[in-house]
Amino acid sequence: MKVQFSLNGKPVEVDVDPREPLLNTLRFRLKVKSVKRGCERGECGSCTVLLDGKPVLSCMILTPQVEGREVITVEGLEQDALFKALVDAFIECGAIQCGFCTPGILLVAWAEIKQKRLKSREDIVEYLGNLCRCTGYVKIVEAIYKVASGVKSWRESTSS
Amino acid sequence: MEREYKFIGKRLPRKDSEPKVTGQLKYTNDLEYPGMLIGRIVRSPYAFADIKRIDVSEAVRMGAIVITPDDVPQKPFNPRLVSIDEVTYKDTYVLTYKPRYLGEPVAAVAAPSEELAQRAAEAIKIEFERIYKPILDPFEAMKPDAPKIHEKIMKGDKWIEVENNIAARLDYDEGDVEKGFSEADLIIERSFKTGKRYHMQLEPKAVLCVPEPGGKLTIYTTTQSIHNTRILISQIFGIPESRINVVKVPIGGSFGSSIQTNYLVPIAVALCLKARKPVKIAYTREEDMLDHSNFVFYFNIKIGVKKDGTFTAAEFTNILDVGAHQVQPYPLLGTSLGWFVSMYKWRNIRYRGIAVYTNKVPGCALRGYGAPEVQWAVETMVDEIAEKLGIDPIELRLKNYVGKGDIFWGQGPTVKSVIKSDGVPELLLKGKELIGWDRRGHPSEKKGRYRRGIGVARGFHTSSAGGPISGEVIDYTGCILKLNEDGTLDYITALQDHGGGSLDAHVKIIAETLGVPPDLINLATATTENSLYDVCTHASRGTYAGGECARRAAEILKQKIFETAIRMLGRVVNPEALKIGYDERLKEAVVYVEGTDIKIPLREIARTAWQKNWGTLAAVVTYRATSAPPSFTVYFVEVEVDTWTGKVRPIKVVAGADVGTPINPDMVEGQLHGGFAMAWGMAFSEDTKYDPSTGEIMGRMLITDYKIATAEDVLSPEEFIVILANTYEPAGPFGAKGLGEAAMNPATGAILNALYNAIGVRFYELPVTPDKIIRALRERGETPW
Repeated sequence: MKVQFSLNGKPVEVDVDPREPLLNTLRFRLKVKSVKRGCERGECGSCTVLLDGKPVLSCMILTPQVEGREVITVEGLEQDALFKALVDAFIECGAIQCGFCTPGILLVAWAEIKQKRLKSREDIVEYLGNLCRCTGYVKIVEAIYKVASGVKSWRESTSS
Repeated sequence: MEREYKFIGKRLPRKDSEPKVTGQLKYTNDLEYPGMLIGRIVRSPYAFADIKRIDVSEAVRMGAIVITPDDVPQKPFNPRLVSIDEVTYKDTYVLTYKPRYLGEPVAAVAAPSEELAQRAAEAIKIEFERIYKPILDPFEAMKPDAPKIHEKIMKGDKWIEVENNIAARLDYDEGDVEKGFSEADLIIERSFKTGKRYHMQLEPKAVLCVPEPGGKLTIYTTTQSIHNTRILISQIFGIPESRINVVKVPIGGSFGSSIQTNYLVPIAVALCLKARKPVKIAYTREEDMLDHSNFVFYFNIKIGVKKDGTFTAAEFTNILDVGAHQVQPYPLLGTSLGWFVSMYKWRNIRYRGIAVYTNKVPGCALRGYGAPEVQWAVETMVDEIAEKLGIDPIELRLKNYVGKGDIFWGQGPTVKSVIKSDGVPELLLKGKELIGWDRRGHPSEKKGRYRRGIGVARGFHTSSAGGPISGEVIDYTGCILKLNEDGTLDYITALQDHGGGSLDAHVKIIAETLGVPPDLINLATATTENSLYDVCTHASRGTYAGGECARRAAEILKQKIFETAIRMLGRVVNPEALKIGYDERLKEAVVYVEGTDIKIPLREIARTAWQKNWGTLAAVVTYRATSAPPSFTVYFVEVEVDTWTGKVRPIKVVAGADVGTPINPDMVEGQLHGGFAMAWGMAFSEDTKYDPSTGEIMGRMLITDYKIATAEDVLSPEEFIVILANTYEPAGPFGAKGLGEAAMNPATGAILNALYNAIGVRFYELPVTPDKIIRALRERGETPW
């Protein structure tokens, strides 16, 4: 069946089997490889995308469900100021190790900061269901907290 | 000793940050190739069975490429090639009619889409000759009447009989144990058992095999060793190594799970050879859990000690449940012993190590290669001994530990070297202050629902498997460093960066040695064709052994650059007067003479050497470390136990590491954070449990049932204090040692010593799940339930 939706601000149309998960549509048909396949069972968070601004697991959503809606991946946020601040904070804090979970975590952080839900470290821990096996989460939470609490990143403070 | 460095020890953003945060970095499963087929593996539904017939007709009718054991070479191999061949036991086949664990590959298919491939795989019918009851307990397996999991296997190039399902043995004796125990004032003996942990690296294993013109193959896969992958594929299929090119692809974590060539690689190669088309296989999470997990360790340890805390003897029995196939458990029998003897001066030692087959997923290395298990057991007992003797646990450790000037067993009995750098006293004494050791109190004083406790444990891991004498473990690396015509540099190493940033350390080491900014150094894509042999990125050797190789290459290249510069300058200049640095005005790296206006851009040097045919400005270096220095780590942990629910949470951690010179402080911290999180899982939750009747992993291989630490278990940086010892390792690049494994090794012991300090119960079987804590408290009549 034909499904139309907006991917990173651009309209796309795909012809899919109604049972196809959004994860496969994004990775195989639309070649969006930042959406990682970690478990395909809604457990790890590596395939997180934003659906109408809310983080969802693309392996748990069927492509027809996104008809007429807006899907955003990290590719779509490259020019976004908040996203850039998050990226800077992740780099600055050393919150990246193998990088496999990173795009998904960035999307959750971006969406929840936008919704002003992350006021404390406890909030971050509560909203961050994504799994990471490398970092022990310390620097990830720290990087998100930095941005959520308005601490200026190194790049911002040197350019201003 | 304080040294001034430009890049070493500085917090600099890692080179692969940008592609990782933007999702542009391509991992194996992100790669696609025109005309590519997707492969799926048909697995045995039984843990121990003999297959009569595999009916592939329906799958073939569906248009799939199908392979069965008849299509692959039937010569046994060992997927891990880190030890020398003479001590490598081989019992694995690409596909088999005799599956020995539930999930063992018996056939495979390839089709243009994943769905077609899956349907074809499901259409394959397997007829079984015999189905046996799985043997899941190594002690059952060793009974004389137990069915044989394997009849004959190969050791090196010889066939050997397997007796009592014993895969390998290693015994060791030193001194007189009986005499030692007779001199002891206190003897304690304990038995320990660990869980069968799964690596749970975020990226499931994947492979893409591409046929090239002229019968060549290009292989992209999740591996810690591109060269060993090539050697193995060459050995299995009889293809010359020159026709196999394995490409290094970024890897989404590994933790030891791809030291061996993962089982899907030879399967993809076989499919590719049959289809003559590119074939990709990417495991599902379930398949990944069926591909690899850790060994189960059963220890029995007896320690004799005098009243003053001097150890007199130790007896260590190590029964390893290796699962259905050997992924080199023999060297693990050696390293387990090595970690044990390198902890404390026991004076007299008896060791019996037995690796036993069971019908479980083949066990392989998992971060520490036995050290987290051995150090948990030893540090538990040392804590008990300290309490019984009334000696401060820190004092007892300082009195007996193996440190500077002593012999360290880097990788078992054949890899030994003298310890030259040792930050143990510094870390123990500083950590004691920072955690507030004196407020820990005695468990008997602690009442109420929530109880806190503080524990300590120390340990180490080897940096590499190097040594003055070549042992049974291979440790060899090589690299290429060349100056490009525009003054930038290409650096080629087969070493992998699993995420810890070891290759960033190499870049810094090269930058520091040459005097150029790290931005000028390109971490080139390495393949087996264009790189020198490196054994494997394991044994915490990336920064230490690989980094030293990089430093030596940079040193050689620097001399070549200076020689060319002297020729160009045409004036007599002592090479020692030359320096390399970044010229802010010219915006490029230059060779200059201090205190003069003489300077030549590297770009000009490279081009002149090229135009005038003065020789290549490149260095090609191979290197084997002549020692395997221990990176010591010390953990102080404070926990809080909810005695009503059995839940434990971390309150404060002081992680002390002696890594010599820290090349990347950020990444040193990152290793410790991640190591602690993994140790937390090892202590409290991680285990793949098997259904005793079917031999299936319980919980359908769901991560929900295999609980790793989550963000909920996280501490803020204020509560997670990292301290680094002020040491310098003479054999390491700029004094550096490794950390990947040491970062975790003793942490489980510290966590469980803290648990004891909170509730007064010691646990000898991992993981210590909440129900075990509740049960122990209930037995003392202490819970409300």
